[in-house]
Amino acid sequence: MFKHSLIRRIGAIGAAVGVLLGCSASLTCLAKDDSTFTVGFDAEFPPYGYKDDNGEYVGFDLDLAQEVCNRCGWTLVKQPIDWNSKDMELKTGAIDCIWNGFTMNGREDAYTWSTPYVDNSQVVVVRSDSGISELTDLAGKIVVVQADSSALAALDGEDASEENLELAASFKELQQVGDYNSAFLNLESGAVDAICMDIGVAGYEIKSRGDQFTMLEENVSSEEYGVGFLKGNTELRDQVQVTLLEMLEDGTFQEIAEKWELESSVCLSADDAYIDGTSLRSEKSFGARLLDIVSQLSGGLAASLAIFLLTLLFSLPLGLLVTAGRMSRFKPLSALVKLYISIVRGTPLMLQLLVVFFGPYFVFGIRTTSGYRFAAVIIGFTLNYAAYFAEIFRSGIQAVPKGQYEAADILGYSKAQRFFRIVFPQMLRNVIPAVTNEVITLVKDTSLAFAVSYTEMFTLAKQVAAAQTTIMPLFIAGAFYYIFNFVVAFVMDRIEKKLDYTRTR
Amino acid sequence: MNLLEIQNIKKSFGDLQVLKDITMSVAESEVISILGPSGSGKSTLLRCMTMLETIDGGSMSYCGESAVKTEGNTPVYASKADLARIKGYYGLVFQNFNLFPHYTVMKNLIDAPVHVQKRNPEEIRKEAQALLEKMGLADKGDYFPHQLSGGQQQRVAIARALAMKPKMLFFDEPTSALDPELTAGILKVLRELAAEKMTMVIVTHEIDFARSVSDRVIFMDGGVIVEQGRPEDVIDNPSNDRTRAFLKKLSGEENT
Repeated sequence: MFKHSLIRRIGAIGAAVGVLLGCSASLTCLAKDDSTFTVGFDAEFPPYGYKDDNGEYVGFDLDLAQEVCNRCGWTLVKQPIDWNSKDMELKTGAIDCIWNGFTMNGREDAYTWSTPYVDNSQVVVVRSDSGISELTDLAGKIVVVQADSSALAALDGEDASEENLELAASFKELQQVGDYNSAFLNLESGAVDAICMDIGVAGYEIKSRGDQFTMLEENVSSEEYGVGFLKGNTELRDQVQVTLLEMLEDGTFQEIAEKWELESSVCLSADDAYIDGTSLRSEKSFGARLLDIVSQLSGGLAASLAIFLLTLLFSLPLGLLVTAGRMSRFKPLSALVKLYISIVRGTPLMLQLLVVFFGPYFVFGIRTTSGYRFAAVIIGFTLNYAAYFAEIFRSGIQAVPKGQYEAADILGYSKAQRFFRIVFPQMLRNVIPAVTNEVITLVKDTSLAFAVSYTEMFTLAKQVAAAQTTIMPLFIAGAFYYIFNFVVAFVMDRIEKKLDYTRTR
Repeated sequence: MNLLEIQNIKKSFGDLQVLKDITMSVAESEVISILGPSGSGKSTLLRCMTMLETIDGGSMSYCGESAVKTEGNTPVYASKADLARIKGYYGLVFQNFNLFPHYTVMKNLIDAPVHVQKRNPEEIRKEAQALLEKMGLADKGDYFPHQLSGGQQQRVAIARALAMKPKMLFFDEPTSALDPELTAGILKVLRELAAEKMTMVIVTHEIDFARSVSDRVIFMDGGVIVEQGRPEDVIDNPSNDRTRAFLKKLSGEENT
């Protein structure tokens, strides 16, 4: 099916390119009978066409239509239609086309179509040497999909077809992963047997990873969107088609796709880059690529370092305050602090970061700016680490013998003097080993900032790994973390020795 | 004038009454030893006198200045400022020394005089060095406590107390944590202090030492002062049965 659709697509594109070549720019948009262009759409199909919170009709398809109209000098009329009477609307001329995530499959002959511009087909990718060549071969195999993906919906969702439900039931297991790079790492390592995914992403991944992977000819589901015109209205179709290709060529099409986050689903293509078979892998030498990765990761390292240093800067003093609150004789305060510590220690840091980042909006309705992202990371980490440091400090304080307090008391020290001159230095020495542990954990925990999409080193490594379809950036990131921690351990060891007054000097 | 005067002091821990109506005084230059079996209340008495523990009833004054008095049933302590001044009149040497482990010997001696009494650091340092010399620790100023023997640490603790220039010193079983051969060094220091007319109250189990150095011996048992007087009377000729039993037991232990 995939191949068939490609052949058809190439044909359509060929025709369109012919039109493009045969017409001068001024001829591209032939005059319509009138200067309006009426698009019929079902207003309940985000992100293609829907009514937004302000009551405006918006969407990817409507943006595309608007751009086509701008280029052709038409006025766009957005006409929401009753989906059941779409053919009537078209036939009566009430609308010029149906442009609304309109599925071509099964309707090929009912309309005059543009070439498909969105491909939502779900396909299966396997290792070339796996011996799996059709869907029935997947019985008893482990298949992985991206969490919350169309592939998952097609196999296991409420609207999944009978065949697909049976297919999914034949698998040994249907697993979910967070991103396609890990899916491919799983596939390559043999941990899973197949990936079910969007055709667009599959084409890109196979292209860049070489011929060790292959796509099954059978699709799990086939779904391509095109603009549907009244059967026989090739004139208008060609005008729209050519304009779309112009938009593709100058990048406008891609821009609009990115605006609606559909860049991995769009398939409108002038030269069909998906099937030309040449590898996208750069021809750079190993050393040059390594240098590339290292230089890309160092930006992330700076971000991780910033999280690390700022978190320490704020959480260590805050931890001391929390300890004071925790050890306070004022019961409500110590109970409150105890609750805070218990919540922080009892829930995942990742969740806490999410709460800090999204909480202001979802709890208090305060809209946050993008600048808040970094602040949220620091606040989240600081609140988390302060709780841990506080408990470490508390144990360090409690390890100072009662006799020290009494000696200070007899010598007339004030409470503040007693704490800062007698208790605190002894506490510091007591807590250094435990604090070192926490600090080293913090280095690695900085990677959790990805939870709120803050691009630190590990997130960057994953992105680079996905873009270059290699696992190398992850190993390099690992080396960076190790070196980072090596330095931290060295520094902490020096501090520990400096603070240890029981070492003979 | 008496340096310390306490009247009708009572102290309980929960239901256990540890001190029952203790009245005593300490005159200037007087050396008092407090003897008594474990649990007799002598350490608690010392902790109440040094205000490490609060009392449940009674009154106490140092150098004629009231530190606490009881009106009705509630003991009322003097203001914070008054107490800070009163606490400057006495020092305490602990059984376990309680030196500050993160400070050198010298710093242990001078930290409180510099930061609490805010006296001239130059002068304090000179006095501290003289005190160390007196304790036979002239070359130990830069050492940390853990580098010293128990006897040396206790001598540093005594020097630390003296560096505050108190009018009187309390000792809470100063030799109990020490090996017998180290005990002698501490007792020698106490004798020298007694010879210099330092006012001292010493809780101790060293009968011979108490007899030879004390002006007055107090025998406590069951939270009360059972007997007190000149050492030759209380130790060698006790009039009370309990004192006799205690001394007999103690000498018995020493002989075995």
